[in-house]
Amino acid sequence: MKEKDKHSGFKTPEGYFEGFNESLMDKIKEQSHSIPKNDGMTVPDGYFESLNQQILSKAKAGETKVIPLHNNYKKYYLTAIAVAASLLLIIGLQWKNENAYTFDDLAASEIEQYFEAHDFDMTSYEIAEIMPIDDLQIEDMLLKEIKDENIADYLNDNIDMFEELNLENHDY
Amino acid sequence: MISEASLVDQLKDKGTQSQAFEVLINTYKERLYWHIRRIVLDHDDADDVLQNTFIKVYKNIDGFKGDSKLFSWMYRIATNEALSFLKVKSKKLGISNEELQNHIVDNLRADVYFEGEEIQLKLQKAIAELPEKQKLVFNMRYFEELKYEEISKILDTSVGALKASYHLAAKKIEAFLKSD
Repeated sequence: MKEKDKHSGFKTPEGYFEGFNESLMDKIKEQSHSIPKNDGMTVPDGYFESLNQQILSKAKAGETKVIPLHNNYKKYYLTAIAVAASLLLIIGLQWKNENAYTFDDLAASEIEQYFEAHDFDMTSYEIAEIMPIDDLQIEDMLLKEIKDENIADYLNDNIDMFEELNLENHDY
Repeated sequence: MISEASLVDQLKDKGTQSQAFEVLINTYKERLYWHIRRIVLDHDDADDVLQNTFIKVYKNIDGFKGDSKLFSWMYRIATNEALSFLKVKSKKLGISNEELQNHIVDNLRADVYFEGEEIQLKLQKAIAELPEKQKLVFNMRYFEELKYEEISKILDTSVGALKASYHLAAKKIEAFLKSD
């Protein structure tokens, strides 16, 4: 399709005719449903007319005036600022030291509560991927200690084939 | 009418800033107001958010790089301001965002700046049920009549995804309006 009319010199945007069908169909679809076009919302009388002044005054109110520091007072101001900054730094550092909590300070119950209150939406495989298992002992996951003979009894009763334990390639 | 590029230049120049800002307010106040109003629904809330939007534009105009159009940039600020406003409001009331939406729609009946009939109330209820993105796309396309390309720049979403969102939203609203 031509996108330039050689007689009149008028042009259309590039790809206009190629996209015409699609945009026409979009428009027809949009106009064919039964959703009201009026949403019933109104504004107070004269609202837009008075808006400019309100915005302008608020925008300018936020601007801080620059007060020139006269040379005579400059050194006193600077000294005062330096003293105040040092005091803030000292107080800040002490406060930070006193409140430097570590992970160990958290009670186990708080951690449990946090996990219960937040939905992490993770599968057991995803948890296994991020959990370091090298230092993990079986006791870390059990509330009661299990004796070796109980484990042996369980295996005897529940595992039919020794191969199911998948113990190959390990030295035991 | 002044071009967008020269308006931005004037906004960045301290000498012409005030005058240019007034031109900016006059050009966009109504469009931005309706955009915000359809998100927050209440007039006073919309007024607060609109003023904050213009103040943010005024204070951050030096940081406007011109990568996007001034119009898209302002719409993006307005959208973010309106959505954050609702988040803060729901937190203050101790309710979820969805509960807040329903609460606002229920209050529309008593709102002096809402002159809708039952069908308009039902329409607002239907819109409130939509996910956030579909709600924005529907309002911007159906009521504000923005082009998909414009919405795409404001919401940073592809035109294809926007069309899908829009048609899905329209279908849901129609079904809601037909239901008893």
